[in-house]
Amino acid sequence: MQETRLPQTIQENLSPSPLMERLATLTTGYTPDLERELEVESSYFDYPVLKEPTWRWEIIWYFFFGGLAGGCYLIASLASLFGSKEDRAVARAGYYLSLLALMPCPPLLIKDLGRPERFLHMLRIFKVKSPMSMGTWGLVSFSLFSGLTAVIQAARDGILGRWWGARLLAGVPQRLIALPGTVLGIFLGGYTGVLLAATSVPLWSRSRVLGAVFVSSAISTSSALISFVLRMTGAPARTLHKLERLEWMAMLIEMAGLLTFLRGTGRAARPLVGTAPAEHGRNFWSLVFGGGLALPWLLQTASLLSGRRKNKKNNGRGIIISLLVLLGGYFLRRTIIEAGHSSSRDARTTLWNARR
Amino acid sequence: MAVEPYQRDTNGRGSLQAVISSLVGNKMPPIAQQPAMGFFTDTSLCIGCKACEVACKQWNQLPASDAIWTGSSYDNTGELSPTTWRHVQFIEHIGRREQGLNGLRDDIDAQIAQAKSSGVIPMTPAGTALPFFNTDRWLMQSDVCKHCAPAPCQEACPTGAIIRTEFDTVYVQQDICNGCGYCVVACPFGVIARDEVGDHTVHKCTLCYDRMKDGIEPACAKACPTDSIQFGEVEKLKAHARERVGILQARGVKEARLYGVDDGMLDGGLNSSFLLLDEPEVYNLPDNPTRPANNVVPASLWTMLAAMILGVFGFIFFRGD
Repeated sequence: MQETRLPQTIQENLSPSPLMERLATLTTGYTPDLERELEVESSYFDYPVLKEPTWRWEIIWYFFFGGLAGGCYLIASLASLFGSKEDRAVARAGYYLSLLALMPCPPLLIKDLGRPERFLHMLRIFKVKSPMSMGTWGLVSFSLFSGLTAVIQAARDGILGRWWGARLLAGVPQRLIALPGTVLGIFLGGYTGVLLAATSVPLWSRSRVLGAVFVSSAISTSSALISFVLRMTGAPARTLHKLERLEWMAMLIEMAGLLTFLRGTGRAARPLVGTAPAEHGRNFWSLVFGGGLALPWLLQTASLLSGRRKNKKNNGRGIIISLLVLLGGYFLRRTIIEAGHSSSRDARTTLWNARR
Repeated sequence: MAVEPYQRDTNGRGSLQAVISSLVGNKMPPIAQQPAMGFFTDTSLCIGCKACEVACKQWNQLPASDAIWTGSSYDNTGELSPTTWRHVQFIEHIGRREQGLNGLRDDIDAQIAQAKSSGVIPMTPAGTALPFFNTDRWLMQSDVCKHCAPAPCQEACPTGAIIRTEFDTVYVQQDICNGCGYCVVACPFGVIARDEVGDHTVHKCTLCYDRMKDGIEPACAKACPTDSIQFGEVEKLKAHARERVGILQARGVKEARLYGVDDGMLDGGLNSSFLLLDEPEVYNLPDNPTRPANNVVPASLWTMLAAMILGVFGFIFFRGD
């Protein structure tokens, strides 16, 4: 790779951040040594080995909304199956939010296609080996369950009126439908990470734990969204407390998953954690790991500890935590997709990744 | 190396059985399986004439790429693309002797001394048009779709647009492809790509499926003036490749090696294999890429583990007070 000279001001802005660089080295266990690598490794003029992904903002938003749809459904089902009477508020909000988050997903996916009018070709076959085929079927069947559950909820809440149809719908056993729906919801929250892992892009595929990260992020962002809505509409403190504990746990597992991901990906994780040009470490450390996970997790810890003593709800802090987690969940998907583009362009890391 | 002309099995056409099968959706009897066909690209014979690139574009009616001057070599094609299915690489190894790479200096000096004492100039190593005492090399390779035995693009394709033909080649049905882009990231060689200016579907080498159906060899192989591109039955080509690398090794071209001939690569080998004169990475070929589909099970298990842990905690949190 030839050194490219940048204008002074840009160079200053892009000068490596020592703290983030240290974090990058620490988490990936890899210290870049460009001179040595150039000497030892060969490639064809550093032309990319792989083709760049075609996926852009539509997919980022789909991953975010898909995670919310699946996660909200799971949490709503947990509350409805195991929760107390008070927790019905979680189930109600969760099922509505799940359908709401699901709405933009199909249009986003169709818009992303090269030939959107051929989107139905996805339903020609059922292919277990292809995560995208499974994802299509998963999304289609989940939307059936999500829609049905939300309609039953609406009938029970009296939104659909008092005619015989609404009464009939309200009588449908929602919990029975929620069981397969929850399995599909978990699938929707996690398959996207499996889809990225089953590619040749070094960043996405090397560690194979991206699905675990995505599914925990789906649950953390969903509990953030539900608790945000419940705070706005006024819900019992005990219910909120349960949600906060789940959110706290999901963030913990997400952080552990991300650290496993970074360590397992090693050198190929540079586009995600590094701070050189075309690397997305600045966004990753400040908006995803720092602002989107570590900070809200610490705030949540403090709030859970004080909440246990006083049993009061701290609405202001809770709302800030929710917003931070949601922002972090969006930027997690965004940095991973964008860094995947950079990863596919890096010829020598791609070749390194294929050496085993 | 011609193929048997393809004959469609016409038995039973027009009969009651055919009418019934057409009603239940089986419009045509399955096409009879043919021996697997593929390429063997022997880079030791390539002279970089780019006839294959031109022949491919002409036969497949592919538009010319924008004229871009790369400035790094005679390669102004750059990469395989939706409209370029053969790509000739030019790798200049100049000044290797001065750098004393891989002990070449000693070797050459010894050879010169040997030649002086015996009065016999050794044979020029195959693949070098330069005098034997010169270590400068100009490697050329005509890159193409590898038609992998288990093809990652085909395994990824969610529409069934990418199929294996009766010749065991990997083929994109353009009327089915909806341009989802999953094959693009699945391919470990960066071959298949979406045409962003044309029809927005993915394109790559078809191994001249249309020509093969009529028993003619692909356009690039036909045009290749040095037989660097060889076409035929995969098994025969692989046997020939092993023989060829043995001959080159025996003649002193120790760097000669095969790529994609043994079945280890991608769990089944490549139907379009290569003979290289240096490490694969010099040609931008990954040494031993993983098959993306192999990641599905471990990645799913990790996902399920995380979901299960969180489900259990969710149960505990909502249950207990």
